Amino acid sequence: MPETEGDDDVLRVEHVSKRFGAVTALRDINLHLRRGEVLGLLGDNGAGKSTLMKIIAGFQNPDEGRIVVKGEQVSFRDVDHARSLGIDCVYQDLALVNELDVVQNMFLKRELVSRPIPLLARRVMRERTREALERIGINIPRLDVPVARLSGGQRQAIAVARTVTSEADVILLDEPLAAMGAKEGAMILDLVQQLREAGEVSIIMIAHNYVHVLQSCDRVNLIQGGEITFDKPTADTSVEELNEIVVEEYRRARRAAQAG
Amino acid sequence: MRRLLTLREGSIVVVTILAIAYFAVANDRFLTSANFKTLLPYFAPFAILAVGEVMLMVAGEIDLSIGSVYLFAPFMFYEFHQLGLPLVVDLLLCLVCAALIGALNGVLTAVVGISSFIVTLGTLLGVGGLTLIISGAAPVAMPGAEVHTTTESVKKVVNGHTITLQEQVNHVGGFARVFGAGIYSELIWALLAVALLHVVLRSTRWGMYTVAVGGNRHGAAEAGIKVRSIVIRNFVLCALLAGFVGVLEAMRASSVTPDTAGASETMFRAVSAAVIGGTLLAGGEGTVVGALLGALFLGVLRDGLVLDGVSADYLDFILGFAILIAMAVNIYVGRVRKGSGHA
Repeated sequence: MPETEGDDDVLRVEHVSKRFGAVTALRDINLHLRRGEVLGLLGDNGAGKSTLMKIIAGFQNPDEGRIVVKGEQVSFRDVDHARSLGIDCVYQDLALVNELDVVQNMFLKRELVSRPIPLLARRVMRERTREALERIGINIPRLDVPVARLSGGQRQAIAVARTVTSEADVILLDEPLAAMGAKEGAMILDLVQQLREAGEVSIIMIAHNYVHVLQSCDRVNLIQGGEITFDKPTADTSVEELNEIVVEEYRRARRAAQAG
Repeated sequence: MRRLLTLREGSIVVVTILAIAYFAVANDRFLTSANFKTLLPYFAPFAILAVGEVMLMVAGEIDLSIGSVYLFAPFMFYEFHQLGLPLVVDLLLCLVCAALIGALNGVLTAVVGISSFIVTLGTLLGVGGLTLIISGAAPVAMPGAEVHTTTESVKKVVNGHTITLQEQVNHVGGFARVFGAGIYSELIWALLAVALLHVVLRSTRWGMYTVAVGGNRHGAAEAGIKVRSIVIRNFVLCALLAGFVGVLEAMRASSVTPDTAGASETMFRAVSAAVIGGTLLAGGEGTVVGALLGALFLGVLRDGLVLDGVSADYLDFILGFAILIAMAVNIYVGRVRKGSGHA
């Protein structure tokens, strides 16, 4: 049950449904994101979180429903279109190209080129990459190596860095801590905290760790079986409450399996 | 040496130099300008075909139909000329035909979703057959490549005396000289194609997207790259180059025979050149300069063996093993390179 939706919503998802063949991935989803807010999105594997992210990022089209960005209803043509409206996503699989180097990955589909002959402006891009990584405190010694050589955490850091340093003001993070060790994870959470305090961007973050969500988010939504079933400010909920809801879902699933 | 090996093309450079050194020692006619001219058609056309194939292979696809497109284009050139069109227009139109076949390959692969190996196997046969139908399985003389022989007076100095000799001189039209018939025409086109596509692959958006599409297709799509468009564009490029080389070769020979088996062999040599040059069949990695060197290596090998008087019966047998040895050395040197911490 979404709570009151106001004019300060930077993004609204209204009655969105998505099916893949016989499988209904999303069922009449309503979700809103306020300006400067960090919204945590929780849910079991296969609940539809990533599908929802891909729809908001313009990578997939919804079967029904609409998306309202900054007060205007939009129908995304593609990822570029969503990006041009300030929405950018760090996908769960990171969307990095192993064969390209750090700089090329940082600027993938955001390249800077010279004029009049459109050649890649390598030096400028390398400089900006170094600045961006420094600004958010990620240390990657060499920027000219293929990202295949980097650790899982470094790769994840690059994927996050390229989105948070872009022009985007609505950032989608699909499990940004998945491949990270504790230290790198803390760095990303710090980064989210910094962005939250600066208040210039709005963030939807998918996570599995309730403690992280309660720490880093202003509000939490729970998605179960393709539906949003829970929507509260993090101040009004607790690890115990979230746990209870999920355990209850698990019990119901088991009963249903036994009955079937 | 260390620096050379750190290049992606390093291994094929070493292998090619070894082959040249061997033939230079084994046969004193190898390092002569006459033999260089003999060598040119052994590698220049394959280099052009191979660099087109590199772009596709980097994108994670393959084009087997280049053999047939290579054969088909000069026959279309001939047909357009029969309509009374000027040579330049004939060339442009037959390249359009080649591009259309490339676009068909691209659409069937990227939109319909058939594997490019199967798609282009189909068009290899289909376009080869179409060429046989159009030509009535008979060779044609290339328009514009007719050779005129004239007798000219040439002054020469012999033993301090100036004498005048009558010599037979062959002439061929300017169009044909530019497009294949000139001795260095194919070499110049090959170097142009290599230089251009090297820059495209390394330093343009198109090149970067091609690597991304071959390396991580799903991720490339998530990043917003138009995967289908990149695949189709590279198929069109590959077919265009194949058609162009077909015209160059027909102009050089001044006629063209609808030899579909030979066309397939041409295709296999071009793919071999790309792979020997260091381009992965799996996509994501490849080098245009490597393809040129791969073609040069195959050319040197063939030319050197012929010069050594190796019987035609043994030629393919030896070539086959030489390619395997070259690839093994290639991979070994590649490991040395990776160990050095460069890509």
